[in-house]
Amino acid sequence: MAKRDIPEINAGSMADIAFLLLIFFLVTTTMDKDQAYIRNIPKKIDIPLDQAKVQERDILSIRANNQNQLMVRGQIFSDPSKISEFVLKFYRTNEKINTIENNFPMYSTTTLALCDQSMSNLDSQIEEAETVGNQKLTEFFLASYEEWNKKKNAIKLYGKSEIRELSVQAHVRIEVQESTAYSIFTQIQNEIEEAIFELRDDECMRLFNENYGILKKRNAQDSDPNDKAKLNLLEILYPARIIEITPKN
Amino acid sequence: MSKFKKEDRGSGPGINTASLPDIVFMLLFFFMVATTSKENDPTVQVESPEGTRTTDLTPFKQRSEIDFLYLGTPRNPNRAKAFKMGYALSLDNVVQSTSDGLYATNAVGRWKLDKFSQKPSRMNAPLEAVITCFKVDRSAPTGLVFDIRKQLQDIEALTIAYAVRDKGNI
Repeated sequence: MAKRDIPEINAGSMADIAFLLLIFFLVTTTMDKDQAYIRNIPKKIDIPLDQAKVQERDILSIRANNQNQLMVRGQIFSDPSKISEFVLKFYRTNEKINTIENNFPMYSTTTLALCDQSMSNLDSQIEEAETVGNQKLTEFFLASYEEWNKKKNAIKLYGKSEIRELSVQAHVRIEVQESTAYSIFTQIQNEIEEAIFELRDDECMRLFNENYGILKKRNAQDSDPNDKAKLNLLEILYPARIIEITPKN
Repeated sequence: MSKFKKEDRGSGPGINTASLPDIVFMLLFFFMVATTSKENDPTVQVESPEGTRTTDLTPFKQRSEIDFLYLGTPRNPNRAKAFKMGYALSLDNVVQSTSDGLYATNAVGRWKLDKFSQKPSRMNAPLEAVITCFKVDRSAPTGLVFDIRKQLQDIEALTIAYAVRDKGNI
């Protein structure tokens, strides 16, 4: 039998096929990312608790009405991009001087000893709750134990035996009305975020000599416990407590 | 008298296109890796507001720990008056039809719980940590957002995100 050559396969149309696939992917995919502000909704409370009245100096209310006009702490703001400055002032005013007169939230000092003491107190309380068998109470104590532990680790990372903490009740509150435009609402969120970013960025630069944005980005990609501890410290130093009030009809 | 030989036109050497598929495949793989699949065109029109200092949702998207809901004007303008304040809510491309039914029948809550039960078993985030992302038109009334928020609070899906178009960078 004569030896036959295997005929070569014509690969000329390969490029066409690849182009077809390429164009398909170009059309069905997108390169832009989803960007957003992440927020938490507070848990629903079945039984209203008697809460201590929040001091006026601890509230920073930002309000927007149906005509999209803004008011920050009773002052009318015509330029929304000035809000972040005011939020900065809210956080920074009492950081150094700490007087009651200027109507801004006070700072207090948390020491390592206080953390240890609260943790040992909670330890015995957890045991007590467990023997009684109160599930909810045990969970509550465990959660606050965790919080103190976090604080303790943060102080250790801070490198001193104490830390300056903003009043626990200090918060920013957003009050909008039914038909306030959504863009105004997000702009307020933007301004608050901008201010908190600046506070944390400055501190991050001072403590760790690096950019807060870069730290955050790196933590999202590969969660390294060191980065997490750094972010935790920054969050304790400058907590973002934002309350969104449901508009009344 | 011609000293030069006339050039033979038309039968020059052909360009070798054997590597063309390789180049195109390379491009193809680049786009496959660098892009994410587009979401279905929502049935409502949404023009996002702008903002800075946002959080990137891509890691959550990759872990499918996020659900999107759209609130905007219906694509057919004649239908707009059928909805509360002219804005319609679209959940997985289904426009919630009745004007006040959306708020009365707890559509958002049911949708969210449905989505949660269909998540793959490898996903172990609890319901309260699964993000609900609001894609809301820039001129939509904020009251509607709070109506939806209330329904999410009722079923304890407590993490939400307000989507904006990022106009800044780090």
